[in-house]
Amino acid sequence: MSLKNCHNFQDFRSLAKRKLPSPIFHYIDGAADDEITYNRNTSAFNDVDLVPNVLRGVESVDLSTTIFGKKLDLPFYCSPTALQRLFHYDGERAVGKAAQKFNTMFGVSALATVSVEEISSLIDTPKMFQFYFHKDRGLNDSCLERAKAAKFDVMALTVDTITGGNRERDLRTGFTSPPKLTLASLFSFATKPMWGINYLTKGKFELPHLQDYVEEGTSTNTSIGNYFSTMLDQTMNWNDAEKLCSQWGGHFALKGIMSVEDAKRAVDIGCTGIMVSNHGGRQLDGSRSPFDQLAEIVDAVGDKLDVICEGGFQRGTHMLKALSLGAKACAGGRLYLYALAAAGQAGVERALGQYKSELERDMKLMGCTKISDLSRKNLRFR
Amino acid sequence: MNLNDCLNFNDFRKLAKKKLPAPIFHYIDGGSDDERTLNRNTEAFDDCDLVPKILANVGKPDLSTTVFGRKISMPIFLSPAAMQRLYHPEGDKASARAAEKFNTFYSMSTMSNNSIEQIANLSSGPKLFQLYIHKDQSITDDLIDRCKRANFDGLCLTVDTIVAGNRERDHRTGFTTPPKLTLKSLFSFAIKPKWVFDYLTNEKFELSNVKNKTDKGTNITKSVIEYINEQYDPGMNWSDAEYVVKRWDKPFAIKGVMSVEDAKRAVDIGCTAIMISNHGGRQLDGSRSPFDQIKLISDAVGDKVDIILDGGVRRGTHVLKAIAAGAKACSFGKAFLFSLSAGGQKGVEKLLQNMHDEIQRNMILMGCKNLKDLNYSRLIFRR
Ligand SMILES: Cc1cc2nc3c(=O)[nH]c(=O)nc-3n(C[C@H](O)[C@H](O)[C@H](O)COP(=O)(O)O)c2cc1C
Ligand SMILES: Cc1cc2nc3c(=O)[nH]c(=O)nc-3n(C[C@H](O)[C@H](O)[C@H](O)COP(=O)(O)O)c2cc1C
Repeated sequence: MSLKNCHNFQDFRSLAKRKLPSPIFHYIDGAADDEITYNRNTSAFNDVDLVPNVLRGVESVDLSTTIFGKKLDLPFYCSPTALQRLFHYDGERAVGKAAQKFNTMFGVSALATVSVEEISSLIDTPKMFQFYFHKDRGLNDSCLERAKAAKFDVMALTVDTITGGNRERDLRTGFTSPPKLTLASLFSFATKPMWGINYLTKGKFELPHLQDYVEEGTSTNTSIGNYFSTMLDQTMNWNDAEKLCSQWGGHFALKGIMSVEDAKRAVDIGCTGIMVSNHGGRQLDGSRSPFDQLAEIVDAVGDKLDVICEGGFQRGTHMLKALSLGAKACAGGRLYLYALAAAGQAGVERALGQYKSELERDMKLMGCTKISDLSRKNLRFR
Repeated sequence: MNLNDCLNFNDFRKLAKKKLPAPIFHYIDGGSDDERTLNRNTEAFDDCDLVPKILANVGKPDLSTTVFGRKISMPIFLSPAAMQRLYHPEGDKASARAAEKFNTFYSMSTMSNNSIEQIANLSSGPKLFQLYIHKDQSITDDLIDRCKRANFDGLCLTVDTIVAGNRERDHRTGFTTPPKLTLKSLFSFAIKPKWVFDYLTNEKFELSNVKNKTDKGTNITKSVIEYINEQYDPGMNWSDAEYVVKRWDKPFAIKGVMSVEDAKRAVDIGCTAIMISNHGGRQLDGSRSPFDQIKLISDAVGDKVDIILDGGVRRGTHVLKAIAAGAKACSFGKAFLFSLSAGGQKGVEKLLQNMHDEIQRNMILMGCKNLKDLNYSRLIFRR
C-alpha cells in the first residue's frame, strides 16, 4: 500500500498504522475510556439524510467561508494537535504548508513541535494558536506574546482538558513524549526502523513553546496526561478566560464548548467564535457528539459568533451535514493526522485535496453552488 | 451453482460474481463513498411491517399497473443501466426481450451498447429511454427525435449525475470502459476466460447511441467517470428539462427527484411521472433513501404524477411496501444486472418470474385483489 492507493480516511489510517510505531499510532487513534464518544462523533452523521435538489445549474462551486474575519477557500481547516513531529519528521511544517496550499486555516497547538515564529515565517495563510492555561503565568504570557508577535490571527483557548483524559490505549502501550524505549515499546519501535531513523536524524524533538519554562516533555519523558494534570491550572474559570480574551485583543475562541449555556457566556465575554468539540472523544467519554449538539448551539448563538463544528469528520458529506445545520466551518484532527503520518506534506495535501473534491462533487449533487445555499431544508433526520 | 438455483437477489449476485471479472462485478455492486446510502436503500424497507387482511377472498390478484401511458403486467420494471454488453454478450437485447415477455418496461440508457433503432426493431414491448443532457445540444436533440421515431413509450431525464459519484471500488479495481488490461486488472480478467472470450468474439463494444457524435468511450479508452464529467452538462437546469418535455411531448419522467420542492416543480413543467431515486446509492452518499422519502412526496404530488420508486428493491415485499406508500410502480437496476450477468435473457426472465411470483403470493397473503388495495394503512412503522 502506498499513498496513491489512499482514497479515503480509512486508507490513510491503514497506511499510518503501517508506518508508525504502535504507541504513537494508538496515541492518535485512541480516545478516552470505552471510546463511545469517539465513535459517536462520526456515527452521528448517519442519523441524518441529505435531500438533494436537482436541475439547479451547478457548473462551478464556491467552497469558501469566512470565519474570524478571514476568508478561507475551504469550509474546513486543520485543528491544532500536539506533537506532530512524532507523526512525521516534518510535523507542523508539513501540515502548515499543505494548509497554505489550499488556503485554509492551520491551528498550531501549544504543544507544537515547531515554533510559532518558524510557522509564521513559513506560511502566510490564516493561523490559529491554541492556548493552554498553565499554572505558570510567565509561561502563559510568553505564549500569548509570541503568538501575537508572530502575527497569528486567532487565539483559541482549549477548555476541555482541565485534566488528562483516561486514554487507556496509552496506558497499555506506555506512550510518553518523547518516546521512551521501555521493553514494552521497544519491539514496536524496532519493527518500524524508518520511523526511528527519521526521528533520530531529522532534528531534535522539542516543544518550543514550553521549553524555556519546564523540563516536562523535553528532556524528561512525561506522559501527556501527566502534563495536563501537573502543569495546567485547574482553577481556570470564566474570569480567566475573559482576561485572556482582552489581553489577546484579537479574534478569540473557546475550544471545547458543548452546552448552550456556555456558548452564551462565550458571547458575553467577547469571544468571536467557539469550537463545538469534545476533543475528538479523547477527554470525557459519554460526552455528546459535536454534530448531535450543533443545532441547539447554532440556534442560540449562531448570529453572534462563528460556530465551528469540530470532530468526527471523515467525509465531505459529513461536512455538508454540519454546514447545513448552520456551522460556519468544520475542523478536525485525525482527518489530516493519519495522512501526515502516512506521507508528510504530500499526504496531507492529498487528504485535503480529496475532501475538497468530495465537497465539490457533493455540493453539485445537492444542487448547491455556495456554502450559504446549504440549509436545514436539505436534511431529514431519521 | 446455476440459474435454476437462483431463488433471490443474493443468489443472482453470487452467480454474477462467479462469472464476471472483478472490476466489472464491482462496477455493478459498488456505491459511492462509504456505501451508506447504497445499504440504506434496501434496509429502509425493514423499518416498516406489512399488515395483512384475512379472509379477503382475493382469488388471483391483478398485478397490473399503468405507467408512461402503458399498461404493464406487474409493478416492477428494469431501470436504465449503461453498457450492458459488459455483463453479457447479448447486452440490452437480452434485457429488452425478457421485459417484453413479461410485458413490463425495458429502459435504455443513453450509454447503451445498442442503438435505439436496434432495440425498437427487436421488441414491441414497453420501452423507456433514459436521457442525459449533453453539453452539445445536437446530441440531446438527436436522441429525443430518434426515440420518437422509434416509438418509445416514455422518456426519463436523469438529473442526479451532474458529476460522477465517488465510486471507490472502481478506483481500486481500475475499472474503465472498454476494459483496459492493466497489470492490476489483468489477473481478474484472466481467471474469467469465458467472459473474455464472449467479449472479444461478439459485436464490437461501443456506445451506439452517441458514437457518431463523440469518440469518447468508443475509440479511446475512457472511463465512464470521465465520460460523465466531460459530456454531461453540469449547468443543466429546469428550463433545460422543460425544453426536453416540450420537444418529446409524450409521457415523461425526471429520474432522481428526492425533495418535495423539486417534485412540485416537476409537476409544473409538465412531467407525467417522477422517479424517486438516488441512482442506487452510486452518487451522493448520505443521501436519503427513496423508501424513506416516498410518503412525503406522494402526499405532495401523488395525485398529479405517477410515482416510481427506484432503488433498493430486492424482494416482492419491497414492491408491495413501496406501492402501499404511494408508488405506482418500482424499478430496479442491480437486481436485473446480476441476473443478466448470471444468464443473459434467460437470467432476466428467471428474475422477473421470481418477482412476479413473489408479488402475486404476497398480494394473496396480504388479502389484496389489486394494487389499489395496498395503501398506507397496510404499513406499520416500527419507530
Ligand atoms: C493526536 C491528537 C493530538 C491533539 N492535540 C491537541 C492539542 O494539543 N490541543 C488541542 O486543543 N486539541 C488537541 N487535539 C484535539 C483536536 O484539536 C480536535 O479537537 C480533535 O482532533 C477533533 O476530533 P477528530 O480527530 O475526530 O477530528 C488533539 C487531537 C489528536 C487526535
Ligand atoms: C451498473 C449500473 C449502471 C447504471 N447506469 C445508469 C445509466 O446509464 N443511466 C441511469 O439513469 N441510471 C443508471 N443506473 C442507475 C439505475 O438506473 C437505478 O437508478 C439504480 O440501479 C437503482 O438502484 P438498485 O440498483 O438498488 O435497484 C445504473 C445502475 C447500475 C447498477
